[in-house]
Amino acid sequence: MESAILIRHLAKKYGTVVAVEDLSLSVPKGSMFGFLGPNGSGKSTTIGCLTGLLDPSAGEMEILGQRFTSESVDLKRRMGVMPETLGLFEPLYAHEFLAFIGRMFGLDETTTRTRVTELLAALELNESHKTLSEYSTGMRKRVAFAAAVIHSPEVLFLDEPFESIDPAGVASMKQWLRRFTEQGRTVFITSHVLETVERLCNAVAIITRPGKLVWQGDITVLANDGSITHDGQEFRALEPLFLHLTGEHYADLNWL
Amino acid sequence: MNLQLLGTLIRLRYRLFWAKRRSRSGRIALFLSGYLMLLAVMALLTAGGLGLGAMAVNAGRATATAATILFGLYLCATVGTLILGFGMNAIFAESEMRRYPLRARERELARHIVAMLDPYWYLVVGIEFGLLLGLYLLGSGFFLTGAIAVLMLYVCNYLTVRLLSAIVERLVARRGGSIFLMAAIMAVGMAPPFLLPYMQAHPHAGPGLSWLQWTPPYGAALAMTHADLWAVWGLTLIAWWTLGLGAALVALERRPARATVVSSGKLQWGSRYDRVGAFLGPQNAILIGHWLRFFWRNNRFRMLYPLSLPLVGFFIYGFTRQSGMNLGPKDAFASAMGAFAIVGFIGTGQFAVNQFAYVGNGLRRYLLLPADPAAALRSCSYTFVLLDAVLIVVGLVVWPFLSRGPLDPLMMPLLAGCSVTGMFLYLAAGLWVSVLSARRGNYYSSFGNDLSFAGNTIMIGSMLCLFILPHVAAALWPGLFWSGYWWVPLVTAAVAGGVYWMSLQGASARFRARRERLIAVMEGRS
Repeated sequence: MESAILIRHLAKKYGTVVAVEDLSLSVPKGSMFGFLGPNGSGKSTTIGCLTGLLDPSAGEMEILGQRFTSESVDLKRRMGVMPETLGLFEPLYAHEFLAFIGRMFGLDETTTRTRVTELLAALELNESHKTLSEYSTGMRKRVAFAAAVIHSPEVLFLDEPFESIDPAGVASMKQWLRRFTEQGRTVFITSHVLETVERLCNAVAIITRPGKLVWQGDITVLANDGSITHDGQEFRALEPLFLHLTGEHYADLNWL
Repeated sequence: MNLQLLGTLIRLRYRLFWAKRRSRSGRIALFLSGYLMLLAVMALLTAGGLGLGAMAVNAGRATATAATILFGLYLCATVGTLILGFGMNAIFAESEMRRYPLRARERELARHIVAMLDPYWYLVVGIEFGLLLGLYLLGSGFFLTGAIAVLMLYVCNYLTVRLLSAIVERLVARRGGSIFLMAAIMAVGMAPPFLLPYMQAHPHAGPGLSWLQWTPPYGAALAMTHADLWAVWGLTLIAWWTLGLGAALVALERRPARATVVSSGKLQWGSRYDRVGAFLGPQNAILIGHWLRFFWRNNRFRMLYPLSLPLVGFFIYGFTRQSGMNLGPKDAFASAMGAFAIVGFIGTGQFAVNQFAYVGNGLRRYLLLPADPAAALRSCSYTFVLLDAVLIVVGLVVWPFLSRGPLDPLMMPLLAGCSVTGMFLYLAAGLWVSVLSARRGNYYSSFGNDLSFAGNTIMIGSMLCLFILPHVAAALWPGLFWSGYWWVPLVTAAVAGGVYWMSLQGASARFRARRERLIAVMEGRS
């Protein structure tokens, strides 16, 4: 199957600290791909490298069949990104921010206005008298999501997209993302909400500190009440598989 | 009153200051600003104060001279704080303080105590103590009442600054407030140069300077130079002022500033910023339009940029009339050239040396755009070129009305050349400082100094150099600054343009290489 995203031996070091170590990954085109790992395992660093925010210390990346670097302007035009910290310009109104993004991604003025108006309505961002700094966390997240999709990208990177968004908003986003992948486009998601990933994604990769791939595979069987067998154990849900692979355990604080 | 927690917060303020040593640049800045500079400047200024005290006693008018000096210091501290933002950093925002078990009154008090302990105020108090020491050693006054007066004056000065900043903050948040503020500052700033010659010619026409006797600096001067009831009266005067200012501040702070500029709720697609941005080419229009919108919505920018308009007039008028060295009109023109070089960058000076200070995690967004990662750096600098160019034109238009002496048409290219040279060199330095020594700022605070040590050095150093150097050069080489050499600034402007262009290329490359570090700084992780 054709890869939308291909990572070969990616490494990222901050001085002597290794954030990602020799990560190789292939994300099939048209898939909804979950990228999971515990805190500090290198998920955001990997997305940072894949979107040009960070320069990898070693390794290569290909997106849509082309080599990707931070200078790949044409490729960036085909990508949509919702960064973990959202990357909003707080003093702007939502429509101003989205219009700026739309215009920078090459949309003409009329198309930009139409799409901004539609996105604001669809995401229920109707408090147009408020600047982004006055929005709630969930609303800000919706704006960042709108900014990621306004130019109809072919590959979408979403870093923790569903946290702080209300259930109705999450449901709408899931619908759009499903339709998005049905059109042959690719979504790359990181999330800590494993139930959501389990229901939404058809494949996942699980990494552990420092950015080491421990498992990659199809998880559609879980949504159909099936199971995944690993290390001779059978897992009927993503959470026990994740905890098993990452070695995360429950710490009991008896005073709490 | 939770004194223990207040003490902990104050210690935390200094622990945060001290924590800067954990990064290399922080260590350098801390060493230079925290130790070397502070000690050297305090020693120098204390000695200077001592000298001024001695001068006051020797002149036989100890109280009047001390009052004049203290009044000047009071004004300088106030202006330095309001314009440059020193001594106004909140350190702990109200929202942060709410996490701790403190009452509203205690939070308020903690914020003020933390701000008052800013090293900037130590400099002011250092000079005032120097003056007191000078007066005391030469036998004028009583040290204890003088010391109390200095400390009370320090509190009073701080409250004055806070009150003025609260008023200004409320003004700029209102529709038309910036214009009103600009007019007020213009009136205050421009009045003395116009009034003084008139008052000298008509000594009985005005109210004179007797009102100074009712000000806190005069009260402090009385307490410093007298050991009788006059000293008590001096302290009482400062106490009354402190109470009055404190009460006014509490009243204002209880009514938080509310923006009266309310959006209609209807989407407004105004693209005037983009249209202005298009002046520098369609490829830059969207980014420049974005920067214009971003800065124009910033209270600090809305206050400082229009403020530079009256300052332009003030510089031109003041510089060309008071050379201070009894230079002839030809050499006094040197001052005008210095003033015009300052005009080239004064409007955007604080922002140009820390371009990304207020974008926060928005910096990530620029790097995700389908453009050269350094396009944001360059477009921001182009925005400053546009904004500075407006002030240069204003300066050239008002020059014939405010200058003295014979007007020569060749003066215009000379002055324009100086402005353009100043602008390009400053913006070139600003590009490098923005990349190599960036600091995170608070977009929503109208006051406070958000610059790094390098940023402050470039901003203050440039102004001081342009204030002083033309005078020195005119004294050393009379006749140098005259329209016979009208082409020289045009050459320097072209060279400065070249330096700016090379800096754009060089700083862009450094920006790409340092972008991860810049993201960390702007997101408060470094």
